Amino acid sequence: MFLDPESKLYKQLTPVFFLLPAIAIYMVFAIYPTISVIEYSFTDWNGISPERNYIGLANYERLFSDRIFWEAFRNTFVWSGVIIVINVGIGLVLAAMLARVWRARLIIQTAIVLPVVISPMAVATIWRWMYQPTGVVNQVLEAIGLGGFATPWLGSPDVVLYALAFAHSWSTIGLSVIIFLAGLQAVDEDLYEAARVDGANALQSFRFVTLPALRPVTAVVFILTLTQSFKVFDIVWATTQGGPIRFSEILSTYMYKRGALENEYGYGAAIGVSLLVIVSLATLIYMQIQNREER
Amino acid sequence: MRNLALFGLLSVSTALMGQSASAETEVIVWVAGEPGQTTVYEELANKFNSENPEVKLTVVNNSSDLFNPALIPALSAGEGPDLFTFGTGPGQPAALIDGGLVADLTNDFYELSWNETIPEGIISQTSSDGKLWSFGNEVETTGMFYNKAIFEKAGISVPTNWSEMEAAVAALKEAGYDTPIGLAGADKWPVSHWQSMMFGRYAGPEGIENVLFADGSWTDEAFVKASAKLQQMGKDGWFGPSPVAIGYGELMDRFWAGEIPMTFTGPWVIDGGIKATGDRVSDFSVFAVPPFEDGQKIHPTNSIGSGWYVRANSEHKDIAVAFINRMFNTLDGRVTLLNSGVVPVGPLDKALAKAEFSPLASDIWQTSDDHAANGSVPAFLDTITPQSLTNVSYDGLQALLLDVMTPEDFTAEMQSAWDAAKAKGTIMKPGGLSER
Repeated sequence: MFLDPESKLYKQLTPVFFLLPAIAIYMVFAIYPTISVIEYSFTDWNGISPERNYIGLANYERLFSDRIFWEAFRNTFVWSGVIIVINVGIGLVLAAMLARVWRARLIIQTAIVLPVVISPMAVATIWRWMYQPTGVVNQVLEAIGLGGFATPWLGSPDVVLYALAFAHSWSTIGLSVIIFLAGLQAVDEDLYEAARVDGANALQSFRFVTLPALRPVTAVVFILTLTQSFKVFDIVWATTQGGPIRFSEILSTYMYKRGALENEYGYGAAIGVSLLVIVSLATLIYMQIQNREER
Repeated sequence: MRNLALFGLLSVSTALMGQSASAETEVIVWVAGEPGQTTVYEELANKFNSENPEVKLTVVNNSSDLFNPALIPALSAGEGPDLFTFGTGPGQPAALIDGGLVADLTNDFYELSWNETIPEGIISQTSSDGKLWSFGNEVETTGMFYNKAIFEKAGISVPTNWSEMEAAVAALKEAGYDTPIGLAGADKWPVSHWQSMMFGRYAGPEGIENVLFADGSWTDEAFVKASAKLQQMGKDGWFGPSPVAIGYGELMDRFWAGEIPMTFTGPWVIDGGIKATGDRVSDFSVFAVPPFEDGQKIHPTNSIGSGWYVRANSEHKDIAVAFINRMFNTLDGRVTLLNSGVVPVGPLDKALAKAEFSPLASDIWQTSDDHAANGSVPAFLDTITPQSLTNVSYDGLQALLLDVMTPEDFTAEMQSAWDAAKAKGTIMKPGGLSER
C-alpha cells in the first residue's frame, strides 16, 4: 500500500507532496483568477448581470481604436521607464556607495528602506500633501533659491506623471538597494584589489567589476521593478485619479475606471489581459538579452 | 400600526427559525462615506438595536471611491449588505435594477405612508417602471461659503449681481489673496458642483429635466455658455493659479484657516469646519452665487445625496425596511439626522422645531429657501448620470480649467457619452409610481 522509502518513485514523489499545498494555493489565488479574467475578456459582462455573452475578440478589437487606452499605454511605459531608471540605475549607484560607507551606513540604509514598509495609501497621502501648490516641495524649493522650479506638481500635464513616478520610487527604491547590497556582499573583494593594482579608479572599478558581478542581481531587480511599476494603482488613484485630464492615466487606473466604475467588466478584463501580456513580453525580452550577454 | 405588525412578524419568523429568544438577527448595513462623515447612521442603528433587542444592525463604512467596486461583486455573488446606499437615477442604479439585485419597495412605500415623506421629485429619481427601488435619503445643496472677516477687512459686501461678484474677486486679489475662490480641481468632483449649478442656472430646471428625462442635448446653447463662463472664470484667475492641482481636503484646511476667502461647497463640510475653527466658525457664512447674466434666475441646487436600497435576496428585508422607516419616517430619526447636519427628504417643520441646527447650516438652507420659488436644479449631476458620462465630465472640466478644450468640444463629448449610455440601456427610464 505504501511506497518503499528507498524506491525511486518515492524519492521522486516526495518533493511533489511537499509542494502540493503551495501549488494548490497558487492555483486558487493566482492561476484561477488569471484564467477567469482571460475568460471575462471575451464577454460583455457588466459585473452585475447573471448573463455573460461571449463576444469573441470584440473587446480586443475595441482596444485598438480606444484613444484613451493608447494614452494610458504610453503613460504606463513612460511611468515604468522613469521608475526603472530610478530604482535600478540610482538604486545600484546608491547601493555601491553605501557598500563603501561604514560610518552612518545603518542610518542612511534605514532612511532609504523605511518608506518600503509604509502602506501605498499612506505614501499617496504624504506626497499628495507635499505636492500641493503651497506644499512642502514648493516651499523647500523657494527656501533654497530654486523657486523658479516650483510648480503645481499634481496639476501640471507636463510633470504630473514624473512627479508621481518619483513618489512611487521613493517608496520602493529601498528594496532595490537592499537587494543590490546583498549582491555586492557576494562580490569577491580580490577583484577590486586586482582592479586597484591594475590602476583602475573608483568609476572604472564600478564599470568593470561591480556591474558585471551584479548582472544576475540586476536582472532580478529589473524584473521586480518592471512588474511592480506596471501594476501600480494606489498612488496614482489616491493622488490624481489619472488626472489632470488623463495625463497620469496608466493602464491599471484605466482598467479600474472601465471595469469597476463603469461596469464594463469584460472590457476592463481585456485591458488587464493586455497589461499581463505586456509585462510578460517585457520580462521575456529582458531575460533573453541577459542570457545572450551571459553567453 | 404597521411597525407593530412588522415586528410581530419578525419575532414569529425568528422563533420559527429555531433561534433562542436571546439570539440576535444580524443585519448588515453599508454606508458610503469617509470615516466620521456617517456616524449619524451608526447612532441611529444603535437606537434601533436598543429598541429591538432581537436585532443587531451593523453599520459598515466604506470610502466613497471604493464603495461601488466592493458592493457590486458582493451583490453579484448573492451576498453583500442587506441594506446599502447607492447612487440614484437616472444614471446609476439601472444596472442593479436590471440585474435583479435590489428589492422592490413599492409595497412598503404605500403601507408605511412614505408618500407623506418623499416628495414627487425624489420619487422620479428612485423609481422606474412604476416601482420604487430606493428611499432617497438626504437633501443636499451647495452654496458659496465665505469668510465674513476677510470680506469685512477688504470692504466687500455679499455680491448680489455679477458686477459686484467681479468687483469682490478683484478686491480680494488686490488684498493679496491669489485664490479668491477655492476650487479643489485635483479631486474632480468639486468642479462638478460648479458645473451642476451653472448648467442649472443657464438651462433652468426644465432644461436639465429635458436632457435627463427627454430628448434634450448637453450640446444645447445653455450648457455651452455655462461651460464657457466657467472656463473664463478659470482663465481670469478666480480659482487661483492652479485649481486642478489642489485637493479638496487641503483646500478646506486652507479655507477654514482663513487663507482662501470663498469656496463653493455643501453642508457636509460644516461639522469639520466647526471642529477646525471652534469659536471662529461665526466668521463664516454662505451666500447664493449671483446670476451670471442679466435676467438669469437663481435656482437653488438640490439633490438627494444617494438612496437606500435593500438587497433583493436579503432574508432580512423587513428589518432593513423598518430601519429605513426609523431613520426617515419617525420624528426622532429626522431630528437625529438634522442635528448631525443631514437634512432628510420631505417636510421638516416638526423636526426643525426640535433640532439644534448650527448657524452655518441654517445659513445655507436659508439661502436655498430664499430662491426656492424659482425651482431647483440638481446639485450633483455626477451622482445621477452614468459613471461613463461622469468620467468624461470630470476629465473635460479639468481640460476646461487648463484651457486645453473648448466648451463646444466639452459638451459634445458629454453628449457622446450620454448617447452611448442611452444606447446601452444604462439609463433608468423616467420614474414615477403606478397609482394605487
